[in-house]
Amino acid sequence: MANEQFEPRIVGFLCRWCSYTGADLAGTSRMQYPANLAAIRVMCSGRVDPTFVVKALKDGADGVLIAGCHPGDCHYSEGNYKAMRRYPMLLNLLDQFGIECGRVRLEWISASEGERFAEVVTEFTEQLKALGPLNWQESISALCTGT
Amino acid sequence: MIRENQEHRIGVYVCHCGTNISHTVDIEAVVEYARTLPDVVQVREYKYMCSEPGQDLIKQDVEEQKLTRVVVSSCSPLMHEETFRNACEDAGLNRFLFQMSNIREQCSWVHSDRQKATEKAKRLIAAAVRRVHHHKSMEQREAPVHPDALVVGAGIAGIEAALKIAEAGRKVYLVEKEPSIGGHMAKFDKTFPTLDCAACILTPRMVQVGQHPNIELMTYSEVEDLSGYVGNFKVKVRQHARYVTKDCTGCGECVSVCPCEHPSEFEMGMSTRKAIYRSFPQAVPNWFTIDKRGVPMCEDTCPIHTRTQGYVNLIAQERFEEALKVIRDVNPFPAILGRICHHPCESECQRGEHDEPIAICALKRFVADWEVEHNLHPEPVKAEANGKKVAIIGSGPAGLTAAYDLARKGYALTVFEKYAEPGGLIRWGIPYFRLPREVLDREIDWVLGHGIKLKCNSALGENGLTVDKLLNDGYDSIILALGTTKGLDLGIEGEKLPGVVNCLDYLAHANLQGSVETGKCVAVVGGGNAAVDSARTALRYGAKEVMILYRRTRTEMPAISAEIEAAISEGVQIHFLVNPVEMIADSSGRLTKVKCQKMQLGEPDKSGRRRPVPIEGQFVEFPVDQVILAISQLPDLDFLVKDEDFDLTKWSTLAADPDTCETGKKRVFACGDAVTGPSTVVEAMASGRQAATAVDMYLSGEDLETLRGKPHRPHALPLMDNVRRPELPQQKRVEIPLDPDAGITLKEVEKTLTAEEAIKEAGRCLVCGGCSDCRVCLDACEVGAIDHCMDDTVRELDVGAIIMATGFQLFDSTVVARYGYGKFDNVINSMEFERLSHASGPTGGKILTKDNKPPEAVAILHCVGSRDENYNEYCSRVCCMYSLKFAHLVKEKTNADVYNLYIDMRAFGKGYEEFYKRVLGEGVHFIRGKCAEVTKVAECQEEKDKLIVVVEDTLLGVTRRLPMDMVILSGGLTPGRDTEKLSRIFGLNCAQGGFFLEKHPKLAPVDAISDGIFLAGACQGPKDIPDSVAQGAAAAAGALSLIDKGKVIIEPITAEIDEEQCAGCQLCIANCPYAAIDYDEEKKISVVTEELCKGCGTCVAGCPSGAAGQKNFEDAQILSEIEGILAAN
Repeated sequence: MANEQFEPRIVGFLCRWCSYTGADLAGTSRMQYPANLAAIRVMCSGRVDPTFVVKALKDGADGVLIAGCHPGDCHYSEGNYKAMRRYPMLLNLLDQFGIECGRVRLEWISASEGERFAEVVTEFTEQLKALGPLNWQESISALCTGT
Repeated sequence: MIRENQEHRIGVYVCHCGTNISHTVDIEAVVEYARTLPDVVQVREYKYMCSEPGQDLIKQDVEEQKLTRVVVSSCSPLMHEETFRNACEDAGLNRFLFQMSNIREQCSWVHSDRQKATEKAKRLIAAAVRRVHHHKSMEQREAPVHPDALVVGAGIAGIEAALKIAEAGRKVYLVEKEPSIGGHMAKFDKTFPTLDCAACILTPRMVQVGQHPNIELMTYSEVEDLSGYVGNFKVKVRQHARYVTKDCTGCGECVSVCPCEHPSEFEMGMSTRKAIYRSFPQAVPNWFTIDKRGVPMCEDTCPIHTRTQGYVNLIAQERFEEALKVIRDVNPFPAILGRICHHPCESECQRGEHDEPIAICALKRFVADWEVEHNLHPEPVKAEANGKKVAIIGSGPAGLTAAYDLARKGYALTVFEKYAEPGGLIRWGIPYFRLPREVLDREIDWVLGHGIKLKCNSALGENGLTVDKLLNDGYDSIILALGTTKGLDLGIEGEKLPGVVNCLDYLAHANLQGSVETGKCVAVVGGGNAAVDSARTALRYGAKEVMILYRRTRTEMPAISAEIEAAISEGVQIHFLVNPVEMIADSSGRLTKVKCQKMQLGEPDKSGRRRPVPIEGQFVEFPVDQVILAISQLPDLDFLVKDEDFDLTKWSTLAADPDTCETGKKRVFACGDAVTGPSTVVEAMASGRQAATAVDMYLSGEDLETLRGKPHRPHALPLMDNVRRPELPQQKRVEIPLDPDAGITLKEVEKTLTAEEAIKEAGRCLVCGGCSDCRVCLDACEVGAIDHCMDDTVRELDVGAIIMATGFQLFDSTVVARYGYGKFDNVINSMEFERLSHASGPTGGKILTKDNKPPEAVAILHCVGSRDENYNEYCSRVCCMYSLKFAHLVKEKTNADVYNLYIDMRAFGKGYEEFYKRVLGEGVHFIRGKCAEVTKVAECQEEKDKLIVVVEDTLLGVTRRLPMDMVILSGGLTPGRDTEKLSRIFGLNCAQGGFFLEKHPKLAPVDAISDGIFLAGACQGPKDIPDSVAQGAAAAAGALSLIDKGKVIIEPITAEIDEEQCAGCQLCIANCPYAAIDYDEEKKISVVTEELCKGCGTCVAGCPSGAAGQKNFEDAQILSEIEGILAAN
């Protein structure tokens, strides 16, 4: 396949309490996963404004991961529920722009789940490799010119 | 696009972290790349940026190069962000003009491809550099620290922490969920490697805790909620009711009288304790606790809330007089109800879930009859008169119960009865063969013996006896308990024919006069108890054929099931799904037939019973010469209606308040069937009790409104779930004996149980309520320290620091089915062995098998549930050592051969290796290999009746089969049962394995992830006693350093709202979980209360106008970070 050499770029928004700590744990445990994702630390998955996701895709990301505490475990009681509710609306919006919903992922990763973090990144990278590059500019201009 | 139009001088510092980063990331390439980034004026690399010389580089450049922003690329910010911020501040740069990028945990350690890791490091640095452009100078907020501390869990770690803080002169709340402090250590026999007696070293510390003026001990308590922040926590603690106050002297008199036994949790279920108990003699506090698990279903369902398990368990112990006292506390008619009660308690009995419900009703009858048989007639206790007079109209079950209750409170009672004898419906409605008259007379006389005046032949509305007259005559209050005396008609053709009678008239005739006109072929219409009684009475007064006509099916029949069975066995025929539509007479006007409509069941009605609906055109006729109508009854209230203060309901019953029993007339209350419509005897009694309570409160000037909506306590759990217990055998309930001589006569049909039968039957009770609520302990307690009505209390504590010391729980060995734990008697776990070996344990310290023999061969299996990827991968650290201790103890106390089956020996602590050597020298066999299974399938004679331990000896390379008498499973340590709940309450994270996560595994092992919370002991991970004590002390030091500093610095990452941009939509208010945002009505905008905001940023993400922002996590900062990640390369 043409995409064999394709290395997707992924932006990850990780909550400081669970998922960022979980990603650190993957590091201290020396688990290996692809280098495609670079993380941005936020205080809570509830802080992830949908425009962040759109901005990342527009600026060249092929996928975005949002990761927070498991339902019920949020350090701020319910921020992850807010993230969970915004997520389907975001997918809906992206779908209207012709962007596959497989490019944005919401995952619950606790501070003890270093292994899970590594698995999620590995799997997501594979998934995006299969989807191929996003080519935002082309999609959007196609949408704007109606072709 | 984010514009970077500000001029900045940025310094970038790339750390090698020894070789941790540099072995994967090409530092040189990264440095070269960083130099190309906008506004970067200085880039340095260094071996250890966190070291002093590393930090000095930053300080030096800030001063000399006039840096305005700093980026450090090294480890996780969770590790060293504070370090570098402090360095910036030291150099005079605001600490928030700094950004860190994590190229170790999230780059060099997780990637092995040097080129890809280097590219990723570049992206992360680019992101940090872009972000730091938008950083702003901020001031940190200070808050005072509350000087008190909270320690959760009072095992050895919690005890140590609490004592250290208390000794430093600070107040500590020590919260423990068990009734006593001490934790697991209190159960241990000896401690390794010194073989000190655990109790000897622990109990003095426990006493110190109990007596320390700075420690407030809260046992039997659990933290329910936590709010606030570091230095200023608010903690909600629920203190469970222990039903014993601190007046308890610990004398133990209550224990000797308590009838309920349960497996002892402290003794791992190997012996029993009473429902009122103290876990162990040295418990602190030394008070007893009553194990109440909620109101049992039998008691809750009983309309008069008889404390059923109380008397049942006393009967089981042959304490019949005490049992009767429990019954008579609420029920003056044990012999009557023991015969005729519809006993809803039995339908709810939890034993019925297992096999069959307890024969509660028959047990009640047994004790009542036993008393008569033994001529023990207790004198009614007369209360001291309170000078108030109450009249009760009606001497049925409702009226007499009300009289009984009020008389015991000192009221002067007069009961007015319409008929010549008291008893109401129980006298004229219930036939002799169910309730002999002498039983009835005896119990009514006993009630009247409480100083109650009875006036018979005094019907209300006759001979000038009226409500108003009684009120004028000086009665302070009146209770109307008039009952139902009018039978309901069917309203069909032929109903007025001679031969059609109402069941009330029929039964009253039979029961009051001993004779009644009865046909040869009788049909009874109805399905209730009155119908069944009428049918059986008809058989006894000459009817040759008796049938019951009922419009629904057997399932819907409201009559007592046993009575229906008895009627059928006496020859009564029951025709279901038929409804009389016409009574047909012959030419002479004599009743000959009853014509019925055939019915079928339709949808359920309001009562939940399926409604009968006619099958069009289908009829059936039954030849009869008498019909008894037993459909329903109504009160006869004609004389009352004339008084306009009284109202009738739409069901023609007397209107009275369902909670307070008040009628429309002041001082007049009403109860019983006249208010509720036809009910059972016990329901009428409950109604009478309700009226008595209301009258007493009314005449004492109390507010009757408090009677409304009383909450019920939770039901009891059906079976114990906390301690291993032998399979409960299935046991049939006792059969109610019948009198073989009774036949179909007026003689009583059912007989009383024998004492043996009663004791055996009562012994089947599971005491699912924990405490049976018999309350005999009340009399035994000389200091009056027992309060069966105690409620939980919830306290709110203010504390500055919190120490979690919630411990562990032992690995559940039943999970490893192949080891036979829970299946084979002599396979025990390590806590069970501790108790077995303990001098005050169930065997007094003798190591014995379940059949009380000293074992000849004992195997100790290491690593059960530890170091095993099927269960827990981690090493539990203590099992090797305690297994050695067990081996030593078995050797010391028995002549058994001891085999330790280990994977690796881990004797890492001080004196541990020496102990290992000592045990090796004691002749214990060590086999390196993990046990494959424990079986009872013998392959040769010497394996017969033994537990065969199958193991591969990996040193010899052979499989061995070892016949054993006892197998001890050295289970690992797993997180405490409540860990997950606690982690949510306290906002703690759990690490792999489920134990609480520390801030740093090496540098901050007792700090939790959340500031102000510290971890001590096994809740943080498996550890032995010395390590737990050390952590307890370390956590105390952490808490004290926070408290003694007196102030905390709060990171200014709160939300802020731009007044200009806010549209006042208030979406942020809905988003905030802390109620930190309010709406300013005047300005029409939302306003953040900074003190309450915790900085999650959820409101910012949800703000549609972009007015909300979060300090240090501003949109511009995050967006530029995104750009940085994606712009690189």
